[in-house]
Amino acid sequence: MRSVLNKILTAMRGGVNELGEAVVDSQGNRILEQELRDSEHELKQAKQELAALMAESASLARQIRSEQDSASKREQDARKAIAAGQEDLAREVAERIVGHERRVADLAQTRELLQQRIAGLKERVQRAEKQLADYRRELQVVKTNERVLRTTAQIDTNINSQKSSLSTARETLERIRERQAREEDRQTASATLEKELTGADLDEKLKAAGIDSEQDAVNSVLARLKDSPAQ
Amino acid sequence: MDIQTLTLALGDSTHAGRTFDVMPIVGEEPVLQVTVSGAEETPVYVTVTDTQILCLVYLFDEQELNPERLSELHENMLRISVPMPLSALGKTGDHYVAYGALSPTSGAAEIMQELVTLAENSIDLLQTFEDYLA
Repeated sequence: MRSVLNKILTAMRGGVNELGEAVVDSQGNRILEQELRDSEHELKQAKQELAALMAESASLARQIRSEQDSASKREQDARKAIAAGQEDLAREVAERIVGHERRVADLAQTRELLQQRIAGLKERVQRAEKQLADYRRELQVVKTNERVLRTTAQIDTNINSQKSSLSTARETLERIRERQAREEDRQTASATLEKELTGADLDEKLKAAGIDSEQDAVNSVLARLKDSPAQ
Repeated sequence: MDIQTLTLALGDSTHAGRTFDVMPIVGEEPVLQVTVSGAEETPVYVTVTDTQILCLVYLFDEQELNPERLSELHENMLRISVPMPLSALGKTGDHYVAYGALSPTSGAAEIMQELVTLAENSIDLLQTFEDYLA
């Protein structure tokens, strides 16, 4: 991942990224995609192999159990033969028991080796899965970068072809200020209109001219009270 | 969410009292220019990829900036990028951009929220960084 990010930064600083030119060249991109496919393939194979080995191990375990069962059954037979004084028969059964026990030992050894291979393979699967996730992340960065470059190149071409050319930040700021001023004017106008509608503006004008109806009313009440003093 | 669905969804929707004017940008890549009402000066460019919906606003170009104050501007852009709601600051080619990325599974409401926020943020950013223009 670090190498991909470094490649992108180096190319950017070098000014390679003119008009959608791919920063990590398409060859590098193809290599990354090939690595991704290889990893996916390896993972699939390893998983199939793992499944086969686990099935084999389970089958071996079954065979071992069956041999052990046979051996213990034969042991009972041998005891019975000894009890009945049939020494020769007991020896024959004992030979069978030895055969079962040898097969158990052989099968157990094979299974032990198999378990080791399974453990190794499980580790390989985990490694492949992690590597796959890494490649996918890298590829995503590379592809997003290319997409952004192509997209901005397309926007630039389009705007230039409309002959309106990409407006400068100063022009944009000017337009923003004009709109904001217009909005402010509208707000002031609607506040004025509201005052007119409610008559608030007339009250203000009368007050400014020293004509305050509220004050007049208070004064007239005071005058009335003074005319009829408390008894 | 693909470009066609988005075009249709934005065309006759309002979000937080805003309407959207959508214009496809001709070319190989599916790109839309979306103008948000009340923030018409900062059109948002939208492109949809497998992994994200990318919304971009051009702020200013490198050659428009006062070269002596460039590192101070960069420092301030980095600092302001973190607390700014939904948008981040970046650079592609010579363009300094404000951008936001959404999951491709985002719905129309999330995308409209992003578009309105990004357009408004961009106006605030332009006015904030005006002093750094040459």
